[in-house]
Amino acid sequence: MKKALICFGVLFIYQSSANAQFLKKLQEKAANAAEKVIDKKIEQKTDKLIGAGEGNSNNTNSSEITGNNGNNNSVNRTGAGAGGRNRMSNTEGGGLITTPPDVKENLNSAESAFKGSNYGAARYAVQQAILGVEMEIGNKILKSLPESVAGIAKQADQDEVSSSGWGWAGLNINRTYQNDKKQFVFIIANNSMLSAVNQFLVGGAYGQSTGGQQKWKQIMVKGNKAIIEYDADSGYKVSIPLGQSSLLAFEGVNFASEQDMIAAVNEFNIEEIRKTLGEK
Amino acid sequence: MKRIILILIGLVSICSVNAQDFNANVQKARQSYSSGDLENSRFAMQQMLLELDIMGGKETLKILPGTLGNLEAKIAEDQVSAGSGFAGAVIHRTYQSADKSATLEIISNSPLIGSVNAILSIPFIGTGSNGDRTVVKIDGYKALIQKGSDNEKLTYDIQIPLGSTLITLKTENYSDDIVKLANSIPVAQIAQKLN
Repeated sequence: MKKALICFGVLFIYQSSANAQFLKKLQEKAANAAEKVIDKKIEQKTDKLIGAGEGNSNNTNSSEITGNNGNNNSVNRTGAGAGGRNRMSNTEGGGLITTPPDVKENLNSAESAFKGSNYGAARYAVQQAILGVEMEIGNKILKSLPESVAGIAKQADQDEVSSSGWGWAGLNINRTYQNDKKQFVFIIANNSMLSAVNQFLVGGAYGQSTGGQQKWKQIMVKGNKAIIEYDADSGYKVSIPLGQSSLLAFEGVNFASEQDMIAAVNEFNIEEIRKTLGEK
Repeated sequence: MKRIILILIGLVSICSVNAQDFNANVQKARQSYSSGDLENSRFAMQQMLLELDIMGGKETLKILPGTLGNLEAKIAEDQVSAGSGFAGAVIHRTYQSADKSATLEIISNSPLIGSVNAILSIPFIGTGSNGDRTVVKIDGYKALIQKGSDNEKLTYDIQIPLGSTLITLKTENYSDDIVKLANSIPVAQIAQKLN
């Protein structure tokens, strides 16, 4: 009797586990089937959409070929416009003319607007005149800079003068010297906000310490207080606050030593720049 | 009456001095530019900007109402100050009654105002769920009204951005219709004058 009961128990347990396995397998199969159905539906939908898109582009292509063989650009533009997507990238155009605003003309406009109590227009004209004169100052400084520094030639196409005409945002001048190994960037920033920066730079905020790695130190460049910094990734940087509202920054990449960097900085006529910027 | 006449004469003389300064600076800018002294020419132009800001501010004060609701303008406390373009011109007027006050401040020609405009245009900043902050239209321009309480005083802060100009009206103890009060400000005329 006992034996029979044990056998019955074993059979029951086996049966239960077999049922559980069967249910698990059934569940897996059901899940797989459901996934397959969903995937199929998605594929069908995607195919339809892609097919429609291709159809459109095929239509466009055929109109390109049949309608206008000699002028694909115009047809392409039409196709892109009709679809509202696939925006064309610009391949032609001479850019904007970078002639600075005419200072004298804007001063005349400002004067006449002021006489007519049109202060908004007068202000705009004065801002344009400031923009014009700042661009001229920038270009004058760029012309006075050396053609090459530490044997590295200037990259004339990277010369840049920018001004907002707002007065406070001021004038920024960039000159880059570069060869295969080295890069030397000269930046002049001239604006009223810089007086605070200059005080920070010359006020001892950049301290010097012994021990550890020295990241910066104070130096003199042609009689001007300056800060030299070194960063393993970006190289050397020399900052010279100039007068009340200007800052000269020199950035050297792949310069062998501090002396090399300072020698490159010394090639610039800082007094001439100071004079042109009207700094004392 | 004599006092009013004296004040008027004073105002006219201040304006004429500014006009003379502007004209003198135009001449200085021209001469320096012609002689190649670009930096001095630029400095004269920057001075012209300051003078224009002051003149524009004074002209704006003229178009502000003498009363705002039942609050009287304190003309003697009017102020116009100009920065170097960074903060633009600040025009200030106070309105007051026995127990209520309103301060109108207009910051013009400031490039920083653009960022205020951007903030005001973000919907979730523009409106608050508790009803203390709401966006309305004042004289056709979008404005942000913020209700607050400072030392148990009811306060309202209304900001109306107009390009590079920001009009701010702050009231204290004013419990009447605040939108109606703000609508007394000639926003469109101010925009025309300053922008």
